[in-house]
Amino acid sequence: MHEETKNGHGVSSVDKRMSLKDAVSRFIKDGDALYYGGFQTMVPMAITHEMIRQRKKDLHVFCTTTDVGGLDLLVSAGCVSEMHLAWSMNWFARGSHGIRRAFQQETLKRHDLSNFAATSALMGGFLGIPFMAVRGNVGTDLVKYNQEDLRVIEDPFTGEKITLVRSWRADVGIIHAQRADPLGNIVSWGTRSSPDEFGAMGSKRGVIVTVEEVVEPEVVRSDPDRTLIPFYKTLAVVHCPWGAHPSACMGHYGQDIRFCEYQGEYQRNEHLLHHFFEDWVYGCSDHEAYLQKYVQMFGLESLERLKPQKGFKPLLDVHYSYHDPVVWLDIPPFSDAHIGGRD
Amino acid sequence: MANHYRSTEQMVIRCAKELIDGEVVFAGVGLPLLVVCFAMMTHARHITLLTEGGSVRGTAPPGLAITVDDPVLFASGDATFGMTGAMAALQRGEVDLTFISGAQIDRLGNINSTGVGNWEKPRTFTYFAGSGGANDMATSGKRGLIIIPQDPKKFVERVDYLTSPGFIGGAGHREALGMLGGGPAVVVSTMGVYRFDAQSREMYLAEYFSGQSVEKVRSFCSFDLKVSRDVKETESPTEEELTLLRELDPKGFYLS
Repeated sequence: MHEETKNGHGVSSVDKRMSLKDAVSRFIKDGDALYYGGFQTMVPMAITHEMIRQRKKDLHVFCTTTDVGGLDLLVSAGCVSEMHLAWSMNWFARGSHGIRRAFQQETLKRHDLSNFAATSALMGGFLGIPFMAVRGNVGTDLVKYNQEDLRVIEDPFTGEKITLVRSWRADVGIIHAQRADPLGNIVSWGTRSSPDEFGAMGSKRGVIVTVEEVVEPEVVRSDPDRTLIPFYKTLAVVHCPWGAHPSACMGHYGQDIRFCEYQGEYQRNEHLLHHFFEDWVYGCSDHEAYLQKYVQMFGLESLERLKPQKGFKPLLDVHYSYHDPVVWLDIPPFSDAHIGGRD
Repeated sequence: MANHYRSTEQMVIRCAKELIDGEVVFAGVGLPLLVVCFAMMTHARHITLLTEGGSVRGTAPPGLAITVDDPVLFASGDATFGMTGAMAALQRGEVDLTFISGAQIDRLGNINSTGVGNWEKPRTFTYFAGSGGANDMATSGKRGLIIIPQDPKKFVERVDYLTSPGFIGGAGHREALGMLGGGPAVVVSTMGVYRFDAQSREMYLAEYFSGQSVEKVRSFCSFDLKVSRDVKETESPTEEELTLLRELDPKGFYLS
């Protein structure tokens, strides 16, 4: 295990692989501002469960949109005091019931804005500037009730109204991806998940990632276009297959609709919810135990069903070519009658 | 003409006809995904489909999309642009039609997808989901299409929380705020089709579905509904349309 560098960012030769438990206990502190990654797919569920297990407190969350009820569980478990986001749901529970209850009980502050405003807030953090201008939100209750994130001003150039959104910089980002190498180069494909790119790169201390597969650095370096987050922003790499379950992970598994419905029944019914936490979170030592429980209850075939059935393998044969060999070969300069001979 | 179909099926099939072949369409989560898919497999094969998840595609997705970043929206798509890249098309004014749903709509086409009750008294406020990208779509798309099941709790005089702008307080309000898009053009419910008056910007009933009547639609609307002088009955869906739609959603994820 490596020693943390001064700014928390690793150097290129450090092996950042560790257990989920270690990653969450070392890098997420009570009171931290989190970038909560994913969208309706690639939700960092395994990290969510581990934060609940470790009973994190007073977390502030920045997020664009989040489905399958992971954030809702985190709120119900009492880990979150404040959130800034555009949308939260477990679509198959027809609501975000825990967040709804916490808001009504005034144990949770929620600051709403639109998706483009949220992704722009993350982009502003990524760019290291204080705010961004967006076209939406103006004229609605989003601006009226979320002055912490949104202001409408006069464009100093044209005098027209324009909405500003404050940039977000979390302390730590949590995301799920398909691949990473041990150094922390994170590879993700399928949606070019810009909220994750901006949210993770804009995080002050760096990002914790769970991945389906750990590969050698040579594999990542053979196709660096696919690197979403370069090693130096990564705090921890956790090998965690099915780490986004029950949300989808492109190329590995689709959304587990039946489990979303099942989990949703607990989320909808507050008096039952403690059973879900006991059985699926506190009662599981880690994500592997969660998967074992799943297989035990619903059968391996229920997981197998979610794996890709149809092939969508890329047909583009990509190469990364060299520059002009003139830098090491003797090639005479080009000339013609107008320019004349040049030395 | 078919005799046996659900009101949601007629809603989806009628709604699809509002999509014009060749348009750039930005579709939100829920029913819009099914409608666009149906349109792309029938009369509007040359639609450019954008979603918040970042997919850009000129062909119908190879399966039923449940989310706006559903893997089927990206598999065999034309580009994966990410949320910022796809949604920036709205701000550049490139989107012909935006397509959203919501929990409440008022007579000026304002949409609430945040929650009902009084925000300032949290104990009274029942959260739904939030804007997602609906606000951005409603602000900047050239024209807006809204699909929302008919229910007096959904068709209200004034939305409890204004999430996505229709004509806000009335004529001229969008323009005064410098909004890029023209605002909502059509609302399709489980009972009829609504459009907006060019002067007052108020919603009016333009069509009622077969088996419904103006009076019945009125009774499912909590505001004093204006009705077009030319109001007409919507044609029933055809057997071919129903067969295709049921093939797209055989287990009724959207239709039941």
